[in-house]
Parts: sequence; C-alpha cells; structure tokens
Amino acid sequence: MGATQTYSVVDPASGKVDRRIFSDQAVYDAEMEKIFGRAWLMIGHESLVPEVNDFFHTYMGEDPVILTRDGRGRLHALLNMCRHRGNRVVRCDDGNATRFMCTYHGWSYGNDGRLEHVPGTSEAYYDALDKPSLGLVQARVETYAGIVFATWAEDAPSLEAFLGDARWYLDTVFNRRDEGMQALGPMKWLEPVNWKTMVDNCSDNYHVPTTHLSSARVQTRYLGRPRLSHKDQFESPNKHVFVNGHALTFREAPDNTPRYVHGISKDTFPLFQAYHEATLPEVERRLGAFRARHVQLGNHSIFPNGVLGFRLALPRGPLQTEFWHFVLLEKGAPEALKHAIRIGSQANNGAAGLFEQDDVDNWRQVTAASKSRLRRRISQDLSMGLGHAGAHPEYPGVVSERYISENNQRLFYRRWEEFMNAESWADIPIAPIIARFEGTATIRG
Amino acid sequence: MGKHASAEAATLTVTPRQALWLELMPFYIHEAWLLDERKFKEWLDLFTDDVLYFMPRRKNVLRREAHREVTPLGDLSLIEDDRRYLEMRVARLDTGMAWGEDPPSRTRHLIGNLVAEPLDDGEVRAKTAFLVYRSHLETDHQLLAGSREDVLRRVKGAWKIAKRTILLDANVLLDKNLSIFL
Repeated sequence: MGATQTYSVVDPASGKVDRRIFSDQAVYDAEMEKIFGRAWLMIGHESLVPEVNDFFHTYMGEDPVILTRDGRGRLHALLNMCRHRGNRVVRCDDGNATRFMCTYHGWSYGNDGRLEHVPGTSEAYYDALDKPSLGLVQARVETYAGIVFATWAEDAPSLEAFLGDARWYLDTVFNRRDEGMQALGPMKWLEPVNWKTMVDNCSDNYHVPTTHLSSARVQTRYLGRPRLSHKDQFESPNKHVFVNGHALTFREAPDNTPRYVHGISKDTFPLFQAYHEATLPEVERRLGAFRARHVQLGNHSIFPNGVLGFRLALPRGPLQTEFWHFVLLEKGAPEALKHAIRIGSQANNGAAGLFEQDDVDNWRQVTAASKSRLRRRISQDLSMGLGHAGAHPEYPGVVSERYISENNQRLFYRRWEEFMNAESWADIPIAPIIARFEGTATIRG
Repeated sequence: MGKHASAEAATLTVTPRQALWLELMPFYIHEAWLLDERKFKEWLDLFTDDVLYFMPRRKNVLRREAHREVTPLGDLSLIEDDRRYLEMRVARLDTGMAWGEDPPSRTRHLIGNLVAEPLDDGEVRAKTAFLVYRSHLETDHQLLAGSREDVLRRVKGAWKIAKRTILLDANVLLDKNLSIFL
C-alpha cells in the first residue's frame, strides 16, 4: 500500500470492513500523514493554560506539541523539537515558563516559538545563523468553547467548518454556560489497541449491555442507576447521527431532566435536577429553547481521535494507543455537583474505570485478530441497520432510525477513506452548515 | 546452652515503635495473601466504613516544582474510591461478567520497607513500598511499583485502613487497565 494507494476498506452495500487497516504498518504510516497530518486535532483546553506563560505538553498524533499561552495571552501549538538537532525543549507535563531551553546545546525559544538565544552566535556561527527561520514549528490553532484544536495543514478549512453541524449537538454539552468549562487531567495509559477501534466504539451502544453488564448491575444495586439491558437499549428513543465526519449519539429529552452522566446516582440526582433547572434560562438564551430542552448529546467521537468528549486516543503504532482521559466540569457548577461528576468520570471511564476496564480486552483482540494472515482476510461485519438511516426533518446529519445501529461506524470508515484518498484538503468533502444555531453561543464559547 | 538462650530471648525488649512494626508487618503480609488468593471480601474487611482509597496521578515536573508532582485530592485521580465504590468493584467480580477480570489476573503482591509512626489521635501512619506482578490471559503481564501510605485505625481491637494513598511510579501507565487492587 504505497502513497498512490486508493483505499476502499468499507463496502457500503454490505458493511464489510477490511481488517488490514487495524494492523498494517504502511496503512498506519499513511494515516499519520493523511489524517493526523491534516485534520483539526484536539490538543488541550484553555483552562489547562489559564495564565500567561503557562504551558501544557500534549500530542498531535505521534508528535509532541507544547500548548502555550504567550506573554500576550495568545495560544500557540509548538512542535517540541529543537530546530538544531531535534531534542525536545520541554520534558515536563505542564508548567509556567517564558522560555524553553534545549538541554543539548542550549538553544532557547520564547513561548511564542521564536528562537531567542543560541550560544556562540558570533563565536561559532560567525553571525550567519538565520534565527528568524529557526523558530519552533507551529501548528494552526483555533478553539471551540475552550477546547483547543490544532492542525498542521495550511489548507485546512476553519475549525468551524471542520466541526460543521456536529457543533449543533456538541454545544449541548460543551457550550451551555457563559463561564465555560474547566478541564482536569489527563490520566494516561497505553492500550494494545488500534486507535480506530476505540473511536468507532464511541457510538457503539450495542456493546454496552454485554461488555458493561457487570458494572451496570452493581451500579443499579449500589447507586440506584437505571438498568442497562439489551431491551432498554433497543427500545431507547435515543438517536445515532453522523455529521460531517463526526459520530454522535443524542437523546431527545422533552422531559426536562438533566443529561444522564456518570456521577448521577439516586442520592445525587436531585442536585443534578436542581442545577439543570436553575441553569435552563441561561442555556436557552445560549442555545435556543429547542436545543436547551430537547437535545442531549450522548456518547460521541470527534474525528479523528476524540473519544467520548474531550478525551484522546493518541496513536502509538498500529497496535498501540495512548489513551488520555480528562474530565470537563462547568466552572460555575456547585462543588458537590463537580465532585459527583469527577468521581463518576474517573471511577467509570479511567484506566481503573468500572466500565472502561472491560472494554480493553475486547478491543485489543479486535486488533490482534487483524495481525495474522488468515484472520486479516476475514472482514469485520458492520451490517447492522443498513438502509435505515437518512436525513431527518429536525436533526442535522445522517440520522439512524434506531439508537442501536452501525451506520455511524460505516460512515466513520468512509470518512477515513475520504481522508486517506485525498491529495489535499481540496479533495476532502465538508458538509455545509445548515443547522439553525439559535441562541447567543458561538464557536468561541 | 538451650536454657541460657531461652533466658536471653525472654529478656529481649523492643521499643514501642518496634512493637508496632512487628504488629503491622504481619498485617500487610496477610493483606497481600488475601489479594493474591483473591479473597476480596475478606480484604474489604480490612477497611473502615469511611475509607478513602486514593491513587493520584504522577506528573513530570521540574525538581524545584516537586510539590506539583503528585496531583492533590480534588484533581482528577486514577482512583478516589469510598467504601461504596470499593464494594462495587468487589461485587462486580462475582457477577460472572466482569470481563476485564474474568478469567482473573494472577497477581503477586510483594510489600516491604514498612515505616510506621503513631499519630496523636491513636491512629498510625504506615508507609510501605510494593512490587506487584500481574499476569493476565495468555501473555499479558505488568510490573507495578509504588508506595502506599496508609492511615490505620483500631476498630474493635483490629487494625483497619482508614485512608490509603497509592503512589504509582509511573507517568503513562504501561498496562491495558488497572483492574487489580493495590
């Protein structure tokens, strides 16, 4: 599979997926170039660098990147690679610094990326070094409601166009409050899993009553959370929707109840309900009455590697992914509510998460099954709900008739093909923004 | 000769600190065997009702900022369980559907370097180091190293763990999940 390869990995008529994309090194190498080298990638959150000169160390795909807020408050995404030999100039996870010095020969960069000091500029370089051209390599940076995205592609469309109508749904979680959100984390761990399987899994609600039954059961018993059976999932009125490359699920919520997140229990539900009601006028002002009252984002992924909100699946070779788990909290929420959400999030979806610990062996065996010559010839079957999705009068995107469907997965691998087969951004389709974004909230927050 | 030796043993004195150490080391050895023999309900009995079972994150920070290396309570942690969550983790294993631990891991907890100091209120602060080996399914394995700092309290004559802070010596965990107890 070379550079001129045309990838055809998902058959839209049958839902068969070519398993080689989960294990082949050449495919992976092309992904790093054509997907992670092009797409807008989530890299952090403004609240991780709240003060001038703060920095947060992150990744764009495999490449280490320093998210900085310079002395004038502007955000930068700087490739963590000294322009002299390539050593990293930052080895900390986060901090506050006006300058980053390479520990090899002492080249120093400002937190806006400019090369500021080189030992021996006159004595060794005869004043011939072109310092202005040797700043840290910078990615384009834009933010959505405080979430920082970056791209290496100069020809990429705006972040607003990249998110498109997916933002109409995403706003119902990330853009509800005037004060915005704060990020905590990340916890980081390596999973022996191809990155795409954990992204695909985000709108796979079919797996929940099997994979997570043990944890759902004890939480029904100990926390009074609702049962999670196949019947409940099949009869759920929730929807599954694919919008401009992003795979989402959402709940139609006409009953004026809060979004059902981890952290809600029989004990804490009244807190969540009270907060939901108290903030509803503000949310209506920001998002319009329809979205504020009727639309609640569920499990989702942001293409290519955002997983269940602001969490990252960072590729580390075809057979391994570094998982970063953050929790986002609304800044203005009561402390008791923040506490409940934080505990619920880390106890269910982290490395030790009650839910998440049961995902990993399933995913890793999907990856492992794609390695052998025999098994990689046997395709994945993603045929569920074929022919049962389309446009919807009220909801933007391609909406599945049922909550439990593999339509999002088929379209995710189709989106993957669109990126992999494109020569440049000009070849990658972007759906026009047609949803009505009522209310005062903007992409900035 | 034999008589002489036993007379010496009878006069051996230990300081209160040493007595505490001698009392607690078997407690930790007992706990390790409970975990490695998968007697998790008995293991739960070693904790108080108000236990906090806490595993913060470890960050890479400069030496001069060492105070920021371990994330505080209130930040995102790897684990921050109260008794109810610990009980849920144990109860889950008996559902027959806790796939991450069914078939179960094979573990070996080596606990040592015990330092114990009495606190003013009758509780004891006990610090230990651990090496925990986990083998799972066919070839998955991991070695977890770290420390535990426990606050121990006497409840009806028996030591119970009222607070456990587990510091893993890792930044990015190298294993697929943390489905075992430390």
